[in-house]
Amino acid sequence: MKRLFLLFFFLIIVLSINAQKYMTKNGYIGFFSHTSMEDIKGDNNQVAAVLDITTGEMVFQALIKSFHFDRALMEEHFNENYMESDKIPKSVFKGKITNLSSVDFTKPGTYEVTVEGDLTIHDVTNKISTKGTIEVISSGINASSKFKIVPEDYKINIPGVVRDKIDKSMEVTIAMKYLPMAAK
Amino acid sequence: MKLYIKITLFVVLFIAIAGIWYALHMFNLQHPDTAKVKPDFIVSATALQKEFEDNETAASARYIKKILEVTGNIVSVTPADSAHTNISLKTGSDLSSVICTFKSINDPSKFKTGEEITLRGECSGFLMDVLLNNCAVIPNKK
Repeated sequence: MKRLFLLFFFLIIVLSINAQKYMTKNGYIGFFSHTSMEDIKGDNNQVAAVLDITTGEMVFQALIKSFHFDRALMEEHFNENYMESDKIPKSVFKGKITNLSSVDFTKPGTYEVTVEGDLTIHDVTNKISTKGTIEVISSGINASSKFKIVPEDYKINIPGVVRDKIDKSMEVTIAMKYLPMAAK
Repeated sequence: MKLYIKITLFVVLFIAIAGIWYALHMFNLQHPDTAKVKPDFIVSATALQKEFEDNETAASARYIKKILEVTGNIVSVTPADSAHTNISLKTGSDLSSVICTFKSINDPSKFKTGEEITLRGECSGFLMDVLLNNCAVIPNKK
């Protein structure tokens, strides 16, 4: 009986811990560059992301090969010449909401947040800080953000001949629809 | 002599036009329609996920960038960004599936959870799930 009680107690703890985590495997990360010569747009709808609402920690993971482009050649250049995705298949962001107290996860609404963390692209890690929006809805949490990164900061070398076709900085868009992590 | 110059000019012009045409063609080339491409591998969602889970390196070498024809039962249909829909297929693991991204799917609501589906897509690799992009449903193959 005592054992059963302990097991029950343990189960409750596990369930309550799990309820604090939200995740998605269908997250969106896109980037966009506009110049007078060419628009470049890559979309990835297979981002895996976890958000812990007790600590404000968030992790994003994306496969480089999951970024798709309208033009097949652009996708090939992106993978082979710039991102070297055979060698470096993943990009990761690990960060934290710094103003967690201003978000009430129990009350539906839209909250402005600041997120700081380490962004790893092309095996180079840089600290970034960006503003974003957390939207608490009945079924889960939506998170979105827009910020700019400079390819050269991540040792992505763009040859001079095509440098004019690609904007100095890329606009990155994040859109996640988190669902509560199912207790298993 | 004049004829010789004329022919030379004509040949040069022809090569230049062909070159420009080819460059433009390559530049604007779209992704192949996976529904019409012969698949490199035909597998079940369960077998595919297991291969990646057991040995990611070997499975990556075998499947990445290849066109796979995968059959499995639908776990979830998720609208991704405005242009894409993700369909997840059930595997032997509760935590890992085969996620297939479709562009411009006509009617996402016609895909029901639990139903068996056969699709073709290009394998991007393994994150927590096996990821397929540029997917197309293969009808009449149940």
